[in-house]
Amino acid sequence: MENQRSSWYLLTGLILGLVLGLVFTWTVSPVSYSDSTPDSLREDFKNHYRSMIAQVYVKNTNLLRAESRLMLLGDEDAVGALSAQAQRVLAVGGSEDEARALATLAAALASQTTKHETTLGSPAPSESSAPVIPTNTLPPIKTATAASGLVDKTPSPEP
Amino acid sequence: MTEESLYRKRRVLFFILTIVIGITAGLVYGWLINPVAYTDTGPHTLRLDYKTDYILMVAELYHADRDINVAVADLGYLGSESLVELVSQAVVFAGQIGYASTDVELMLELVQSLKAVLPEQ
Repeated sequence: MENQRSSWYLLTGLILGLVLGLVFTWTVSPVSYSDSTPDSLREDFKNHYRSMIAQVYVKNTNLLRAESRLMLLGDEDAVGALSAQAQRVLAVGGSEDEARALATLAAALASQTTKHETTLGSPAPSESSAPVIPTNTLPPIKTATAASGLVDKTPSPEP
Repeated sequence: MTEESLYRKRRVLFFILTIVIGITAGLVYGWLINPVAYTDTGPHTLRLDYKTDYILMVAELYHADRDINVAVADLGYLGSESLVELVSQAVVFAGQIGYASTDVELMLELVQSLKAVLPEQ
């Protein structure tokens, strides 16, 4: 009987300790989300971020900056992510301008990659590996006007 | 000291010891075995430098389109109560970490336009 009591009080202590630990982590000092990075964003917020990057690219055509920003989202295949999002936007009847911006940036990135590979003497990518860009469903591209002054500016340091 | 008293003290000691072990187990589980993974966060949690870069994107779009309503909507993504304060803070930060002057000017332009349409802020 005495031995049984000993075992129970030890278990009670252990459980009490765990409860105290959980109360501390959940109530006294709960996790607060701050100082996060773009790659940790929820998928819909990432889509918005990606869309912003593409729309800014259409205005200022600064591919280096757009590429740096896309890297922050941590996409394994940035071109594929842009193309897929452009198609999704069109599929749900979203903004054509947004879809076009996404497709334009995807095309620019794919073109840059192809140029780079050709320079290095690598074989050109096959047709099947090229991004699927829904340009044939879009109306003619409008000419950007006010952003011309941004083209040659020095990129700011990226975070 | 009687044997009963010694026994009682030992029980209390072991009881406290198991509580400490329990707390330690909880902390080890929470910090090492299954630590917090930051996923599915909202834009309001972004670090200031990322927020500043996002605000620069809004400023770039505003400079091109001159549509303050779109800029306000895009800034709303960051979930701040005062957009003027948010952008002003970004301008100060951009200056501190050496953003190009043209970029800082774009953000300043956005602040001025926001002040004009959101005078209460």
